[in-house]
Amino acid sequence: MSWRSEMGRVYAFAKRNLLMAARNVFFVFELAFWPTVGVLSIGLMTRFLDLGPEMTAFLLVGTMALSTVQVCQLDVSYALLFDVWSKSVKHQFLAPVEIRHMALGSWLVGIGRGLTVFGLQALLSWWAFDFDFFEPGVLALGAFLLGCFLTSAVVGLLVCALVLLFGTRAEVSAWATVNLVMVFCGIYYPVSILPEPVSTLAGAFPLTYVLDAFRSHYGFAPEFSHPLLMGFILSALYIGLAHWALAAAVTRCRRTGLLLKLSE
Amino acid sequence: MKDASPVPAIAMRGLTKRFPARQRDPRAGHAAAAAEVVAVDHLTLDVASGERLGLLGPNGAGKTTTLLMLSTLLAPSDGTALVEGFDVRRDPQAVRRRIGALLAGDRAVYRRLTGRENLLYFADLYGLPRAEAAARAAALLDLVGLGERADDLVSRYSSGMRLRLALARTVLHNPSVLLLDEPTLGLDPDISVRMRAQIAGLRRERGTTILLTTHYMREAEELCDEIAFIKNGEIPARGTADALKRQIRIGDVIALRLDPASGDGLAELPGVLRCVFQDGRVECTVDSAEKRLAQILSWLHEQGVVVRDVDVHEPDLEEVFVELAK
Repeated sequence: MSWRSEMGRVYAFAKRNLLMAARNVFFVFELAFWPTVGVLSIGLMTRFLDLGPEMTAFLLVGTMALSTVQVCQLDVSYALLFDVWSKSVKHQFLAPVEIRHMALGSWLVGIGRGLTVFGLQALLSWWAFDFDFFEPGVLALGAFLLGCFLTSAVVGLLVCALVLLFGTRAEVSAWATVNLVMVFCGIYYPVSILPEPVSTLAGAFPLTYVLDAFRSHYGFAPEFSHPLLMGFILSALYIGLAHWALAAAVTRCRRTGLLLKLSE
Repeated sequence: MKDASPVPAIAMRGLTKRFPARQRDPRAGHAAAAAEVVAVDHLTLDVASGERLGLLGPNGAGKTTTLLMLSTLLAPSDGTALVEGFDVRRDPQAVRRRIGALLAGDRAVYRRLTGRENLLYFADLYGLPRAEAAARAAALLDLVGLGERADDLVSRYSSGMRLRLALARTVLHNPSVLLLDEPTLGLDPDISVRMRAQIAGLRRERGTTILLTTHYMREAEELCDEIAFIKNGEIPARGTADALKRQIRIGDVIALRLDPASGDGLAELPGVLRCVFQDGRVECTVDSAEKRLAQILSWLHEQGVVVRDVDVHEPDLEEVFVELAK
């Protein structure tokens, strides 16, 4: 298969997600309302608790990571959910496309929407709470965002696999899974305060390392050695596993007929 | 039309689909035993290149499941199915590139996209070059009568319009094999006529191989070169509509318009297989019209019934279907 047709298929999914998102008023809430509420409420809490700049940075970094991952992973999940809601799942799988096209196209839109959310929150944090997100430098910021987006891809692919395994009952995982992940990754606290074995489990989540690395630029001693490297290695491993799980779920669906039930 | 090829466009050998079915044990009150439902049982069938074959059969005969396996949406449990030489299990992507499938109840297109955007999206999925895709989408939208509504959101389309859009999507990538599962089910008669004309045109202009399931005998006669009856996963009869009517010899039909419109007792006469009363007419299926016509007319005369009109004809495909489905 040529690169041109490969990219054409990725583009198709990206364009579809973008068009359908742009025509749904609910997506304005995802993109503007909830991120604004999130950053303002946490920022105001830091004022109420009279926290210093470092602790404010700690909490705002977590808040913005949460929002960015949430929005981006939703787009990856929408790759399948749009079809479930449109009763079009079978058409997708009638076409000569692979999971990589669906996942990559949707993920690219997710990155675009994640960057929009991040930009909005960064602007609000700077304006309302004097927090400079660009202080660690472009490279550190880029690595942080890339880590968030890779985590989003893992969560989104797993949500798609869950929907294909359990049907529409698993739709709720699109919104719930990311919050579960966040408990373990230290969004509002360092993972070292988690009780055993939960703190050990936290070490299995790539976002834990990505947050640890970025917070080190705001004066917090890293809890892990080579956190960025660990974060990226784990992300790559989990993306591979999640892709395999989704492929296996599609194969199972073709065997059991769930692919058709999702289109009824 | 394509020349007949020795390699069939569709070849099924012992194709089987079993679904697991959980059975509840009423005493235990929970899922206790697993059984299997056999939807298609060792089906063997070929469709020649360029042929239009109608697959008819009673509900639950396995028509739709067969099409779903050919379209790669459902994995066969056993046996093989080849589309233009490609195995649906081993080389599904090659099969998907060659088929267009319009499946039962298929009105599902993206409602938040316009008709044109829907087609362009699928054109990208099938790898059509951008310029060609735009031209084909426009031509197909015109062909299915949606040219003026091409840039409206599909959410504003009627169900008939959505089905026509689905048909346009099905043929967008010029598939050499079309799988159509009850393509006019639930459509208004005038739209059904247009759909059938469009489907017939595809075969005429491009030599597309068509495998079609339908419950409408008229549609089967109009669209198909041959008809195959499927029952319990087997094909008890296959041939042209005329050949089937001759092959499944169930007698002749004597249609009568009576005054008064009553023929009670007709069905009891010797050689009369059954009688159906409808709209003031009675249609009697008899073993031989030659033998029974005079006998029936005489009996009616004795009963004081005036015969206003008589028509003798062969049984239609629907009667053949009823006979085979028994």
